[in-house]
Amino acid sequence: MRTFDLLRVPLLGRFLRWRYSRFVLQLPLLLVAFLALYDGFFGRQLAPKNFATVSVWLHYRGFLVLAIAVFGNLFCAACPMMLVRGPTRFAKRFLPQFRWPRRLRNKYFVIALTVLYLFAYEYWDLWASPWLTAWLIVGYFGVAFLVDAFFPEGTFCKYVCPLGNFNFTLSTVSPTQITARDPARCLTCEGKYCVNGRVETAAGRKTAREAGPAEGVRYPGCETRLYVPEIKTNMDCTLCLNCLRACPYDNVALRPRFPGLEWLRARYRLDVVWLGVLLFFAGFMNALGMVPAYYRIAEGLSRLLGTRNEAVLLLVIYALWIGLGAGLTLLVATLADRLSGVRQTAWKAVRYWGTGFFPLAFAMWAGHYAFHFLTGWATIVPVTQQALANLGLPVGEPDWTLAALVPENWLYPLQVGILYLGLLASSYVLFGRARQRDHFLAGGVVFAYFFLLVALALWVLAQPMEMRGTLLLPPGSR
Amino acid sequence: MRKWAWLLVLALAACQPKHGEPLQAKVRFVPEHPTVGKAEVCIEVDPRVEYTRMTVVGDMTHPGMIPVKAEAHPAGPGLWRVDAFDFNMRGDWVLTITAYDASGKKYTKEVRLTVP
Ligand code: SF4
Ligand code: SF4
Repeated sequence: MRTFDLLRVPLLGRFLRWRYSRFVLQLPLLLVAFLALYDGFFGRQLAPKNFATVSVWLHYRGFLVLAIAVFGNLFCAACPMMLVRGPTRFAKRFLPQFRWPRRLRNKYFVIALTVLYLFAYEYWDLWASPWLTAWLIVGYFGVAFLVDAFFPEGTFCKYVCPLGNFNFTLSTVSPTQITARDPARCLTCEGKYCVNGRVETAAGRKTAREAGPAEGVRYPGCETRLYVPEIKTNMDCTLCLNCLRACPYDNVALRPRFPGLEWLRARYRLDVVWLGVLLFFAGFMNALGMVPAYYRIAEGLSRLLGTRNEAVLLLVIYALWIGLGAGLTLLVATLADRLSGVRQTAWKAVRYWGTGFFPLAFAMWAGHYAFHFLTGWATIVPVTQQALANLGLPVGEPDWTLAALVPENWLYPLQVGILYLGLLASSYVLFGRARQRDHFLAGGVVFAYFFLLVALALWVLAQPMEMRGTLLLPPGSR
Repeated sequence: MRKWAWLLVLALAACQPKHGEPLQAKVRFVPEHPTVGKAEVCIEVDPRVEYTRMTVVGDMTHPGMIPVKAEAHPAGPGLWRVDAFDFNMRGDWVLTITAYDASGKKYTKEVRLTVP
Protein backbone atom coordinates (compact mmCIF):
# COMPACT_ATOMS: atom_id res chain seq x y z
CA MET A 1 0.00 0.00 0.00
CA ARG A 2 2.79 2.48 0.90
CA THR A 3 4.65 2.06 -2.34
CA PHE A 4 1.78 1.76 -4.78
CA ASP A 5 1.55 4.88 -6.90
CA LEU A 6 -1.33 5.52 -9.28
CA LEU A 7 0.93 7.75 -11.34
CA ARG A 8 3.04 4.67 -12.14
CA VAL A 9 0.16 2.55 -13.42
CA PRO A 10 1.28 1.88 -17.02
CA LEU A 11 -1.16 3.72 -19.29
CA LEU A 12 -2.87 5.88 -16.68
CA GLY A 13 0.43 7.22 -15.35
CA ARG A 14 1.65 8.12 -18.80
CA PHE A 15 -1.58 9.86 -19.61
CA LEU A 16 -1.58 11.89 -16.37
CA ARG A 17 2.02 13.01 -16.91
CA TRP A 18 1.19 14.30 -20.36
CA ARG A 19 0.95 18.11 -20.27
CA TYR A 20 -2.43 18.14 -22.03
CA SER A 21 -4.05 15.46 -19.89
CA ARG A 22 -6.01 18.03 -17.88
CA PHE A 23 -7.27 19.63 -21.05
CA VAL A 24 -8.48 16.23 -22.29
CA LEU A 25 -10.37 15.78 -19.02
CA GLN A 26 -11.83 19.29 -19.22
CA LEU A 27 -13.01 19.06 -22.80
CA PRO A 28 -16.01 16.72 -22.24
CA LEU A 29 -17.25 18.90 -19.37
CA LEU A 30 -16.81 21.99 -21.51
CA LEU A 31 -19.01 20.41 -24.19
CA VAL A 32 -21.55 19.49 -21.51
CA ALA A 33 -21.49 23.13 -20.35
CA PHE A 34 -22.08 24.38 -23.91
CA LEU A 35 -24.98 22.00 -24.45
CA ALA A 36 -26.42 22.99 -21.05
CA LEU A 37 -26.19 26.65 -22.03
CA TYR A 38 -27.87 26.04 -25.36
CA ASP A 39 -30.72 23.97 -23.95
CA GLY A 40 -31.03 26.16 -20.86
CA PHE A 41 -31.50 29.29 -22.93
CA PHE A 42 -33.32 27.94 -25.97
CA GLY A 43 -34.81 24.57 -24.93
CA ARG A 44 -38.14 23.85 -23.27
CA GLN A 45 -38.30 25.49 -19.83
CA LEU A 46 -39.24 22.32 -18.01
CA ALA A 47 -36.55 21.16 -15.58
CA PRO A 48 -36.94 17.36 -15.91
CA LYS A 49 -36.86 17.69 -19.69
CA ASN A 50 -34.02 20.13 -20.11
CA PHE A 51 -30.37 19.21 -20.41
CA ALA A 52 -29.20 22.18 -18.30
CA THR A 53 -31.17 21.26 -15.19
CA VAL A 54 -30.77 17.48 -15.53
CA SER A 55 -27.02 17.58 -16.19
CA VAL A 56 -26.24 20.18 -13.50
CA TRP A 57 -28.61 19.26 -10.67
CA LEU A 58 -28.72 15.51 -11.15
CA HIS A 59 -25.71 14.09 -12.90
CA TYR A 60 -22.98 16.58 -12.11
CA ARG A 61 -23.75 16.43 -8.39
CA GLY A 62 -24.22 12.66 -8.39
CA PHE A 63 -21.03 11.83 -10.27
CA LEU A 64 -19.09 14.37 -8.24
CA VAL A 65 -19.84 12.66 -4.94
CA LEU A 66 -19.27 9.23 -6.44
CA ALA A 67 -15.89 10.25 -7.92
CA ILE A 68 -14.81 11.76 -4.60
CA ALA A 69 -15.78 8.59 -2.74
CA VAL A 70 -14.06 6.12 -5.05
CA PHE A 71 -11.10 8.12 -6.37
CA GLY A 72 -10.65 11.79 -5.55
CA ASN A 73 -11.44 15.33 -6.55
CA LEU A 74 -11.80 14.47 -10.23
CA PHE A 75 -14.31 17.22 -10.94
CA CYS A 76 -11.88 19.97 -9.97
CA ALA A 77 -9.26 18.24 -12.12
CA ALA A 78 -11.70 18.27 -15.03
CA CYS A 79 -13.23 21.68 -14.24
CA PRO A 80 -13.97 23.46 -17.54
CA MET A 81 -14.01 26.82 -15.77
CA MET A 82 -10.26 26.70 -15.54
CA LEU A 83 -10.17 26.87 -19.32
CA VAL A 84 -10.58 30.61 -18.84
CA ARG A 85 -6.86 30.43 -18.02
CA GLY A 86 -5.87 30.87 -21.68
CA PRO A 87 -7.83 34.12 -22.15
CA THR A 88 -6.88 35.43 -18.70
CA ARG A 89 -3.15 34.89 -19.36
CA PHE A 90 -3.59 37.08 -22.40
CA ALA A 91 -5.71 39.64 -20.53
CA LYS A 92 -3.19 39.81 -17.67
CA ARG A 93 -0.74 41.53 -20.04
CA PHE A 94 -3.00 44.58 -20.14
CA LEU A 95 -4.74 44.52 -16.78
CA PRO A 96 -3.47 45.70 -13.39
CA GLN A 97 -2.65 42.83 -11.06
CA PHE A 98 -3.71 42.63 -7.42
CA ARG A 99 -2.88 40.40 -4.52
CA TRP A 100 -5.84 38.67 -2.87
CA PRO A 101 -6.48 40.61 0.38
CA ARG A 102 -4.81 38.95 3.33
CA ARG A 103 -8.02 39.10 5.35
CA LEU A 104 -9.78 36.99 2.75
CA ARG A 105 -7.09 34.32 2.58
CA ASN A 106 -9.19 31.82 4.48
CA LYS A 107 -12.49 29.99 4.06
CA TYR A 108 -14.76 32.58 5.66
CA PHE A 109 -15.36 34.35 2.36
CA VAL A 110 -16.21 31.00 0.76
CA ILE A 111 -18.52 30.21 3.69
CA ALA A 112 -20.35 33.49 3.04
CA LEU A 113 -20.56 32.78 -0.69
CA THR A 114 -21.81 29.24 -0.02
CA VAL A 115 -24.60 30.56 2.20
CA LEU A 116 -25.47 33.12 -0.47
CA TYR A 117 -25.52 30.43 -3.13
CA LEU A 118 -27.74 28.16 -1.02
CA PHE A 119 -30.11 31.03 -0.40
CA ALA A 120 -30.26 31.77 -4.15
CA TYR A 121 -30.79 28.07 -4.85
CA GLU A 122 -33.86 27.98 -2.62
CA TYR A 123 -35.20 31.45 -3.31
CA TRP A 124 -35.05 31.28 -7.10
CA ASP A 125 -35.58 27.49 -7.26
CA LEU A 126 -32.54 27.15 -9.47
CA TRP A 127 -33.15 23.40 -9.82
CA ALA A 128 -36.51 24.12 -11.44
CA SER A 129 -35.32 26.66 -13.97
CA PRO A 130 -33.22 25.74 -17.02
CA TRP A 131 -32.89 29.43 -17.84
CA LEU A 132 -31.50 30.39 -14.41
CA THR A 133 -29.28 27.31 -14.43
CA ALA A 134 -27.81 28.48 -17.74
CA TRP A 135 -27.26 31.95 -16.26
CA LEU A 136 -25.59 30.35 -13.25
CA ILE A 137 -23.12 28.66 -15.61
CA VAL A 138 -22.48 31.94 -17.42
CA GLY A 139 -22.03 33.75 -14.11
CA TYR A 140 -19.66 31.11 -12.83
CA PHE A 141 -17.46 31.33 -15.92
CA GLY A 142 -17.61 35.13 -15.74
CA VAL A 143 -16.51 35.31 -12.10
CA ALA A 144 -13.79 32.70 -12.72
CA PHE A 145 -12.53 34.86 -15.60
CA LEU A 146 -12.57 38.10 -13.60
CA VAL A 147 -10.88 36.69 -10.51
CA ASP A 148 -8.31 34.86 -12.61
CA ALA A 149 -7.63 37.95 -14.71
CA PHE A 150 -6.94 40.32 -11.80
CA PHE A 151 -5.54 38.01 -9.13
CA PRO A 152 -2.87 35.30 -9.00
CA GLU A 153 -3.79 31.97 -10.56
CA GLY A 154 -5.44 29.63 -8.09
CA THR A 155 -7.15 32.45 -6.18
CA PHE A 156 -10.56 31.56 -7.57
CA CYS A 157 -10.26 27.86 -6.68
CA LYS A 158 -8.88 28.39 -3.20
CA TYR A 159 -10.68 31.46 -1.93
CA VAL A 160 -13.77 32.08 -4.05
CA CYS A 161 -15.33 29.00 -5.66
CA PRO A 162 -18.06 27.50 -3.42
CA LEU A 163 -18.25 24.40 -5.58
CA GLY A 164 -14.49 23.82 -5.49
CA ASN A 165 -14.43 24.25 -1.74
CA PHE A 166 -17.34 21.87 -1.41
CA ASN A 167 -15.23 19.37 -3.39
CA PHE A 168 -12.13 20.07 -1.28
CA THR A 169 -14.03 19.47 1.94
CA LEU A 170 -15.70 16.29 0.76
CA SER A 171 -12.50 14.98 -0.83
CA THR A 172 -10.99 14.65 2.63
CA VAL A 173 -12.75 11.27 2.50
CA SER A 174 -11.09 10.25 -0.79
CA PRO A 175 -8.94 7.14 -0.94
CA THR A 176 -6.04 8.87 -2.74
CA GLN A 177 -3.72 11.76 -1.94
CA ILE A 178 -0.78 13.58 -3.51
CA THR A 179 2.44 12.92 -1.65
CA ALA A 180 6.22 12.85 -2.12
CA ARG A 181 7.63 9.52 -3.22
CA ASP A 182 10.79 10.15 -1.26
CA PRO A 183 10.47 13.02 1.25
CA ALA A 184 14.24 12.98 1.77
CA ARG A 185 14.72 14.02 -1.84
CA CYS A 186 12.70 17.15 -1.20
CA LEU A 187 15.12 18.25 1.53
CA THR A 188 17.84 18.76 -1.03
CA CYS A 189 15.60 20.02 -3.80
CA GLU A 190 16.98 23.44 -4.70
CA GLY A 191 13.87 25.07 -6.19
CA LYS A 192 10.89 23.33 -4.53
CA TYR A 193 9.53 23.37 -8.04
CA CYS A 194 6.28 21.55 -7.21
CA VAL A 195 5.08 24.72 -5.51
CA ASN A 196 7.27 27.35 -7.17
CA GLY A 197 6.98 26.17 -10.77
CA ARG A 198 9.84 25.20 -13.06
CA VAL A 199 11.21 26.92 -16.15
CA GLU A 200 13.84 25.21 -18.27
CA THR A 201 15.71 28.14 -19.81
CA ALA A 202 18.81 28.27 -21.96
CA ALA A 203 20.66 29.41 -18.82
CA GLY A 204 19.49 26.38 -16.87
CA ARG A 205 16.65 25.34 -14.59
CA LYS A 206 14.89 28.07 -12.66
CA THR A 207 11.79 28.58 -10.55
CA ALA A 208 9.02 30.65 -12.16
CA ARG A 209 9.91 33.67 -10.03
CA GLU A 210 13.64 33.42 -10.79
CA ALA A 211 12.98 33.04 -14.52
CA GLY A 212 10.59 36.01 -14.72
CA PRO A 213 9.53 36.51 -18.33
CA ALA A 214 12.58 34.60 -19.68
CA GLU A 215 12.06 32.23 -22.61
CA GLY A 216 11.91 28.56 -21.76
CA VAL A 217 9.70 25.53 -21.26
CA ARG A 218 7.37 26.33 -18.39
CA TYR A 219 5.84 23.94 -15.87
CA PRO A 220 3.57 25.87 -13.51
CA GLY A 221 3.69 24.90 -9.85
CA CYS A 222 0.83 24.36 -7.45
CA GLU A 223 -1.62 27.22 -7.86
CA THR A 224 -3.18 26.67 -4.47
CA ARG A 225 0.34 26.80 -2.94
CA LEU A 226 0.58 23.27 -1.59
CA TYR A 227 4.08 21.99 -0.94
CA VAL A 228 4.08 18.31 -1.84
CA PRO A 229 6.21 16.79 0.97
CA GLU A 230 4.07 18.56 3.56
CA ILE A 231 0.66 17.64 2.18
CA LYS A 232 -1.40 15.87 4.83
CA THR A 233 -4.85 16.59 3.45
CA ASN A 234 -6.73 16.81 0.17
CA MET A 235 -8.05 20.21 1.21
CA ASP A 236 -7.23 22.74 -1.55
CA CYS A 237 -5.91 20.07 -3.92
CA THR A 238 -7.58 20.31 -7.33
CA LEU A 239 -5.76 17.22 -8.60
CA CYS A 240 -4.46 19.38 -11.45
CA LEU A 241 -1.13 17.48 -11.25
CA ASN A 242 0.93 20.61 -11.94
CA CYS A 243 3.20 19.42 -9.14
CA LEU A 244 3.83 16.15 -10.95
CA ARG A 245 4.91 17.89 -14.12
CA ALA A 246 6.89 20.61 -12.33
CA CYS A 247 8.98 18.24 -10.21
CA PRO A 248 12.19 17.52 -12.13
CA TYR A 249 12.95 14.52 -9.90
CA ASP A 250 9.80 12.59 -10.63
CA ASN A 251 9.14 12.63 -6.91
CA VAL A 252 5.38 13.18 -6.86
CA ALA A 253 3.04 10.27 -6.19
CA LEU A 254 -0.73 9.83 -6.04
CA ARG A 255 -1.02 7.19 -3.37
CA PRO A 256 -3.98 5.23 -2.09
CA ARG A 257 -4.71 5.75 1.56
CA PHE A 258 -7.29 4.59 4.05
CA PRO A 259 -10.41 6.70 3.28
CA GLY A 260 -10.79 9.44 5.82
CA LEU A 261 -7.51 8.72 7.58
CA GLU A 262 -6.61 12.37 7.30
CA TRP A 263 -9.47 13.34 9.61
CA LEU A 264 -7.45 11.86 12.42
CA ARG A 265 -4.05 13.11 11.35
CA ALA A 266 -4.60 16.54 9.82
CA ARG A 267 -5.01 19.56 12.05
CA TYR A 268 -7.39 21.79 10.12
CA ARG A 269 -7.55 25.52 10.61
CA LEU A 270 -10.66 26.84 12.35
CA ASP A 271 -12.07 28.35 9.13
CA VAL A 272 -11.74 24.97 7.41
CA VAL A 273 -13.54 23.24 10.29
CA TRP A 274 -16.36 25.80 10.11
CA LEU A 275 -16.68 25.06 6.40
CA GLY A 276 -17.15 21.37 7.26
CA VAL A 277 -19.73 22.27 9.93
CA LEU A 278 -21.58 24.55 7.51
CA LEU A 279 -21.67 21.90 4.81
CA PHE A 280 -23.32 19.43 7.17
CA PHE A 281 -26.02 21.87 8.27
CA ALA A 282 -26.49 23.15 4.71
CA GLY A 283 -26.83 19.56 3.43
CA PHE A 284 -29.43 18.91 6.10
CA MET A 285 -31.31 22.07 5.08
CA ASN A 286 -31.16 21.09 1.43
CA ALA A 287 -32.85 17.78 2.24
CA LEU A 288 -35.31 19.39 4.66
CA GLY A 289 -36.35 21.79 1.89
CA MET A 290 -37.98 18.86 0.10
CA VAL A 291 -40.30 17.55 2.79
CA PRO A 292 -43.67 18.81 4.08
CA ALA A 293 -42.27 19.64 7.54
CA TYR A 294 -40.21 22.44 5.99
CA TYR A 295 -43.31 24.05 4.50
CA ARG A 296 -45.15 23.72 7.79
CA ILE A 297 -42.25 25.48 9.54
CA ALA A 298 -42.42 28.24 6.92
CA GLU A 299 -46.20 28.61 7.37
CA GLY A 300 -45.79 28.79 11.16
CA LEU A 301 -43.01 31.34 10.87
CA SER A 302 -45.07 33.37 8.44
CA ARG A 303 -47.91 33.57 10.96
CA LEU A 304 -45.51 34.37 13.78
CA LEU A 305 -43.71 37.16 11.93
CA GLY A 306 -46.81 38.38 10.12
CA THR A 307 -45.12 38.33 6.72
CA ARG A 308 -45.51 36.31 3.54
CA ASN A 309 -42.27 37.62 2.06
CA GLU A 310 -40.38 34.48 1.04
CA ALA A 311 -36.96 36.13 1.08
CA VAL A 312 -37.48 37.22 4.68
CA LEU A 313 -38.79 33.82 5.74
CA LEU A 314 -35.93 31.99 4.02
CA LEU A 315 -33.37 34.31 5.58
CA VAL A 316 -34.85 33.74 9.02
CA ILE A 317 -34.99 29.95 8.55
CA TYR A 318 -31.38 29.83 7.31
CA ALA A 319 -30.08 32.18 9.98
CA LEU A 320 -31.87 30.22 12.73
CA TRP A 321 -30.75 26.82 11.51
CA ILE A 322 -27.14 27.68 10.77
CA GLY A 323 -26.91 29.87 13.88
CA LEU A 324 -28.36 27.04 15.97
CA GLY A 325 -25.91 24.59 14.42
CA ALA A 326 -22.92 26.85 15.07
CA GLY A 327 -24.08 27.64 18.62
CA LEU A 328 -24.72 24.02 19.57
CA THR A 329 -21.39 22.98 18.08
CA LEU A 330 -19.56 25.61 20.13
CA LEU A 331 -21.41 24.52 23.26
CA VAL A 332 -20.87 20.78 22.83
CA ALA A 333 -17.20 21.18 21.84
CA THR A 334 -16.57 23.38 24.90
CA LEU A 335 -18.33 20.88 27.14
CA ALA A 336 -16.19 18.06 25.74
CA ASP A 337 -13.08 20.15 26.35
CA ARG A 338 -14.04 20.85 29.94
CA LEU A 339 -14.82 17.18 30.55
CA SER A 340 -11.39 16.20 29.32
CA GLY A 341 -9.83 18.79 31.61
CA VAL A 342 -8.76 21.16 28.84
CA ARG A 343 -9.44 24.84 29.29
CA GLN A 344 -9.16 26.69 26.03
CA THR A 345 -11.39 29.02 24.04
CA ALA A 346 -14.61 27.71 22.48
CA TRP A 347 -13.09 28.35 19.04
CA LYS A 348 -10.17 26.12 19.80
CA ALA A 349 -12.56 23.49 21.11
CA VAL A 350 -14.48 23.59 17.82
CA ARG A 351 -11.23 23.30 15.92
CA TYR A 352 -10.38 20.18 17.91
CA TRP A 353 -13.71 18.36 17.83
CA GLY A 354 -15.34 19.85 14.76
CA THR A 355 -13.32 17.67 12.40
CA GLY A 356 -15.88 15.00 13.20
CA PHE A 357 -18.32 16.92 11.00
CA PHE A 358 -16.38 16.12 7.82
CA PRO A 359 -17.61 12.51 7.49
CA LEU A 360 -21.12 13.61 8.42
CA ALA A 361 -21.09 16.37 5.81
CA PHE A 362 -19.98 13.88 3.19
CA ALA A 363 -22.65 11.37 4.22
CA MET A 364 -25.41 13.98 4.26
CA TRP A 365 -24.70 15.20 0.74
CA ALA A 366 -23.91 11.72 -0.59
CA GLY A 367 -27.21 10.39 0.76
CA HIS A 368 -29.22 13.24 -0.72
CA TYR A 369 -27.47 13.24 -4.10
CA ALA A 370 -27.63 9.44 -4.29
CA PHE A 371 -31.42 9.68 -3.99
CA HIS A 372 -31.78 12.11 -6.89
CA PHE A 373 -29.11 10.49 -9.02
CA LEU A 374 -30.44 6.96 -8.62
CA THR A 375 -34.06 7.95 -9.19
CA GLY A 376 -33.37 9.92 -12.32
CA TRP A 377 -30.00 8.91 -13.71
CA ALA A 378 -31.28 7.60 -17.06
CA THR A 379 -33.15 10.83 -17.83
CA ILE A 380 -29.84 12.11 -19.16
CA VAL A 381 -30.45 9.94 -22.25
CA PRO A 382 -33.73 11.52 -23.42
CA VAL A 383 -32.71 15.07 -22.42
CA THR A 384 -29.46 14.75 -24.37
CA GLN A 385 -31.40 13.37 -27.33
CA GLN A 386 -33.80 16.26 -27.13
CA ALA A 387 -31.07 18.90 -26.79
CA LEU A 388 -29.19 17.42 -29.75
CA ALA A 389 -32.44 17.21 -31.74
CA ASN A 390 -32.95 20.91 -31.02
CA LEU A 391 -29.55 21.43 -32.60
CA GLY A 392 -30.88 19.67 -35.68
CA LEU A 393 -29.14 16.33 -35.21
CA PRO A 394 -30.99 13.10 -36.10
CA VAL A 395 -30.95 11.31 -32.72
CA GLY A 396 -34.34 9.60 -32.62
CA GLU A 397 -37.40 10.04 -30.42
CA PRO A 398 -36.57 10.52 -26.69
CA ASP A 399 -37.93 7.87 -24.34
CA TRP A 400 -39.07 9.77 -21.26
CA THR A 401 -39.88 6.62 -19.32
CA LEU A 402 -36.14 6.02 -18.79
CA ALA A 403 -35.42 7.05 -15.24
CA ALA A 404 -34.56 5.00 -12.17
CA LEU A 405 -31.38 2.98 -11.73
CA VAL A 406 -32.53 1.01 -8.69
CA PRO A 407 -35.98 0.11 -7.31
CA GLU A 408 -37.44 2.98 -5.29
CA ASN A 409 -37.67 0.93 -2.10
CA TRP A 410 -33.87 0.54 -2.03
CA LEU A 411 -33.27 4.25 -1.75
CA TYR A 412 -34.07 4.87 1.89
CA PRO A 413 -32.06 1.88 3.17
CA LEU A 414 -29.18 3.10 1.02
CA GLN A 415 -29.39 6.58 2.53
CA VAL A 416 -29.57 5.08 6.03
CA GLY A 417 -26.47 3.00 5.24
CA ILE A 418 -24.55 6.04 4.00
CA LEU A 419 -25.47 8.10 7.06
CA TYR A 420 -24.57 5.25 9.44
CA LEU A 421 -21.21 4.93 7.71
CA GLY A 422 -20.74 8.67 8.15
CA LEU A 423 -21.59 8.40 11.84
CA LEU A 424 -19.21 5.46 12.20
CA ALA A 425 -16.41 7.46 10.60
CA SER A 426 -17.25 10.42 12.82
CA SER A 427 -17.08 8.26 15.92
CA TYR A 428 -13.69 7.01 14.74
CA VAL A 429 -12.50 10.62 14.55
CA LEU A 430 -14.10 11.69 17.83
CA PHE A 431 -12.91 8.75 19.90
CA GLY A 432 -9.49 8.99 18.27
CA ARG A 433 -9.31 12.57 19.52
CA ALA A 434 -10.72 11.56 22.91
CA ARG A 435 -8.02 8.88 23.18
CA GLN A 436 -5.33 11.47 22.52
CA ARG A 437 -6.60 13.14 25.68
CA ASP A 438 -7.18 9.86 27.43
CA HIS A 439 -10.79 10.80 28.10
CA PHE A 440 -13.43 8.76 26.30
CA LEU A 441 -16.42 10.46 27.90
CA ALA A 442 -15.49 13.72 26.16
CA GLY A 443 -15.70 11.97 22.79
CA GLY A 444 -18.97 10.38 23.91
CA VAL A 445 -20.59 13.79 24.50
CA VAL A 446 -19.80 14.97 20.98
CA PHE A 447 -20.84 11.58 19.62
CA ALA A 448 -24.24 11.88 21.35
CA TYR A 449 -24.70 15.27 19.66
CA PHE A 450 -23.82 13.76 16.27
CA PHE A 451 -26.10 10.81 16.92
CA LEU A 452 -29.04 13.15 17.49
CA LEU A 453 -28.23 15.07 14.32
CA VAL A 454 -28.08 11.85 12.30
CA ALA A 455 -31.35 10.64 13.82
CA LEU A 456 -32.95 13.94 12.78
CA ALA A 457 -31.47 13.63 9.29
CA LEU A 458 -32.84 10.08 8.97
CA TRP A 459 -36.26 11.33 10.01
CA VAL A 460 -36.10 14.03 7.32
CA LEU A 461 -35.05 11.54 4.65
CA ALA A 462 -37.90 9.22 5.67
CA GLN A 463 -40.53 11.89 5.01
CA PRO A 464 -42.58 11.90 1.82
CA MET A 465 -41.07 14.22 -0.77
CA GLU A 466 -42.64 17.54 -1.65
CA MET A 467 -41.04 19.31 -4.57
CA ARG A 468 -42.37 22.80 -4.40
CA GLY A 469 -40.94 26.07 -5.61
CA THR A 470 -43.06 28.34 -3.43
CA LEU A 471 -42.44 28.37 0.29
CA LEU A 472 -46.05 29.28 1.10
CA LEU A 473 -49.20 28.06 -0.58
CA PRO A 474 -51.75 30.68 -1.64
CA PRO A 475 -54.16 31.30 1.28
CA GLY A 476 -57.01 28.77 1.41
CA SER A 477 -55.55 26.23 -0.98
CA ARG A 478 -54.71 23.58 1.61
CA MET B 1 -15.20 35.04 -37.16
CA ARG B 2 -18.15 36.75 -35.48
CA LYS B 3 -20.10 36.57 -38.74
CA TRP B 4 -19.61 32.81 -38.81
CA ALA B 5 -20.74 32.49 -35.22
CA TRP B 6 -23.97 34.33 -36.03
CA LEU B 7 -24.53 32.19 -39.10
CA LEU B 8 -24.08 29.09 -36.97
CA VAL B 9 -26.59 30.34 -34.40
CA LEU B 10 -29.12 31.15 -37.13
CA ALA B 11 -28.59 27.78 -38.80
CA LEU B 12 -29.11 25.97 -35.48
CA ALA B 13 -32.19 28.01 -34.70
CA ALA B 14 -33.59 27.17 -38.14
CA CYS B 15 -33.00 23.49 -37.44
CA GLN B 16 -35.09 23.52 -34.29
CA PRO B 17 -37.87 20.95 -34.55
CA LYS B 18 -41.31 22.50 -34.61
CA HIS B 19 -43.14 22.23 -31.29
CA GLY B 20 -46.92 21.77 -31.52
CA GLU B 21 -49.39 24.56 -32.23
CA PRO B 22 -51.00 25.99 -29.09
CA LEU B 23 -54.05 24.02 -27.99
CA GLN B 24 -57.07 26.17 -27.13
CA ALA B 25 -58.46 24.31 -24.16
CA LYS B 26 -59.83 24.76 -20.65
CA VAL B 27 -58.53 22.29 -18.08
CA ARG B 28 -60.42 21.41 -14.89
CA PHE B 29 -59.72 18.94 -12.13
CA VAL B 30 -62.05 16.90 -9.96
CA PRO B 31 -61.52 17.62 -7.08
CA GLU B 32 -60.90 21.22 -8.05
CA HIS B 33 -57.58 21.36 -6.14
CA PRO B 34 -56.01 17.90 -6.50
CA THR B 35 -54.10 16.45 -3.58
CA VAL B 36 -51.68 13.49 -3.64
CA GLY B 37 -53.46 10.56 -5.26
CA LYS B 38 -55.78 10.18 -8.22
CA ALA B 39 -57.76 13.02 -9.72
CA GLU B 40 -59.92 13.47 -12.78
CA VAL B 41 -58.60 15.75 -15.52
CA CYS B 42 -61.22 17.29 -17.83
CA ILE B 43 -60.10 19.02 -21.00
CA GLU B 44 -62.63 21.21 -22.80
CA VAL B 45 -61.75 22.00 -26.39
CA ASP B 46 -63.50 23.65 -29.34
CA PRO B 47 -66.10 21.02 -30.41
CA ARG B 48 -65.77 22.13 -34.04
CA VAL B 49 -62.18 20.85 -34.20
CA GLU B 50 -62.01 17.11 -34.56
CA TYR B 51 -59.24 15.68 -32.42
CA THR B 52 -58.37 12.01 -32.76
CA ARG B 53 -56.13 11.55 -29.75
CA MET B 54 -55.20 13.37 -26.60
CA THR B 55 -52.48 12.61 -24.03
CA VAL B 56 -51.66 14.13 -20.66
CA VAL B 57 -48.10 13.98 -19.32
CA GLY B 58 -47.38 15.20 -15.81
CA ASP B 59 -43.86 16.26 -14.83
CA MET B 60 -42.64 17.52 -11.51
CA THR B 61 -40.44 20.58 -11.61
CA HIS B 62 -37.44 18.76 -10.12
CA PRO B 63 -35.16 17.07 -12.65
CA GLY B 64 -34.99 13.31 -12.47
CA MET B 65 -38.59 12.57 -11.61
CA ILE B 66 -40.39 9.99 -13.71
CA PRO B 67 -43.24 11.56 -15.70
CA VAL B 68 -46.81 10.33 -15.25
CA LYS B 69 -48.50 9.59 -18.58
CA ALA B 70 -52.18 9.13 -19.31
CA GLU B 71 -54.32 8.81 -22.38
CA ALA B 72 -57.47 10.97 -22.36
CA HIS B 73 -60.71 9.58 -23.78
CA PRO B 74 -63.55 11.48 -25.46
CA ALA B 75 -66.39 12.13 -23.00
CA GLY B 76 -68.82 14.21 -25.07
CA PRO B 77 -68.69 16.96 -27.67
CA GLY B 78 -65.52 19.00 -27.07
CA LEU B 79 -64.78 17.14 -23.84
CA TRP B 80 -61.90 14.77 -23.13
CA ARG B 81 -61.19 13.15 -19.82
CA VAL B 82 -58.55 11.27 -17.84
CA ASP B 83 -60.47 9.44 -15.13
CA ALA B 84 -57.68 8.88 -12.65
CA PHE B 85 -54.55 10.89 -13.20
CA ASP B 86 -51.96 9.88 -10.63
CA PHE B 87 -50.52 12.88 -8.81
CA ASN B 88 -48.06 10.65 -6.99
CA MET B 89 -46.10 13.30 -5.10
CA ARG B 90 -46.70 16.62 -3.39
CA GLY B 91 -45.22 19.63 -5.11
CA ASP B 92 -45.23 21.61 -8.34
CA TRP B 93 -46.57 19.82 -11.40
CA VAL B 94 -46.51 20.73 -15.06
CA LEU B 95 -49.14 18.97 -17.15
CA THR B 96 -48.55 18.88 -20.89
CA ILE B 97 -51.69 18.18 -22.87
CA THR B 98 -51.03 17.07 -26.42
CA ALA B 99 -53.83 16.72 -28.95
CA TYR B 100 -53.66 15.38 -32.50
CA ASP B 101 -56.15 16.19 -35.24
CA ALA B 102 -57.18 13.94 -38.12
CA SER B 103 -54.26 15.10 -40.25
CA GLY B 104 -51.80 14.15 -37.47
CA LYS B 105 -51.11 17.80 -36.58
CA LYS B 106 -50.01 18.31 -32.99
CA TYR B 107 -51.39 20.90 -30.54
CA THR B 108 -50.05 21.40 -27.01
CA LYS B 109 -51.01 23.18 -23.83
CA GLU B 110 -49.11 23.45 -20.56
CA VAL B 111 -50.87 23.72 -17.19
CA ARG B 112 -48.97 24.35 -13.96
CA LEU B 113 -50.39 23.50 -10.54
CA THR B 114 -49.24 22.82 -7.02
CA VAL B 115 -50.35 19.63 -5.32
CA PRO B 116 -50.31 20.21 -1.56
S1 SF4 C 1 8.21 17.11 -4.79
FE1 SF4 C 1 9.81 17.43 -6.30
S2 SF4 C 1 9.82 19.63 -6.70
FE2 SF4 C 1 8.68 19.30 -4.80
S3 SF4 C 1 10.22 19.59 -3.21
FE3 SF4 C 1 10.09 17.37 -3.64
S4 SF4 C 1 11.67 17.03 -5.17
FE4 SF4 C 1 11.32 19.23 -5.14
S1 SF4 D 1 -0.31 21.05 -8.03
FE1 SF4 D 1 -1.30 21.38 -6.04
S2 SF4 D 1 -3.49 21.28 -6.49
FE2 SF4 D 1 -2.43 20.41 -8.26
S3 SF4 D 1 -2.37 18.19 -7.81
FE3 SF4 D 1 -0.45 19.05 -7.06
S4 SF4 D 1 -0.87 19.50 -4.90
FE4 SF4 D 1 -2.87 19.22 -5.89
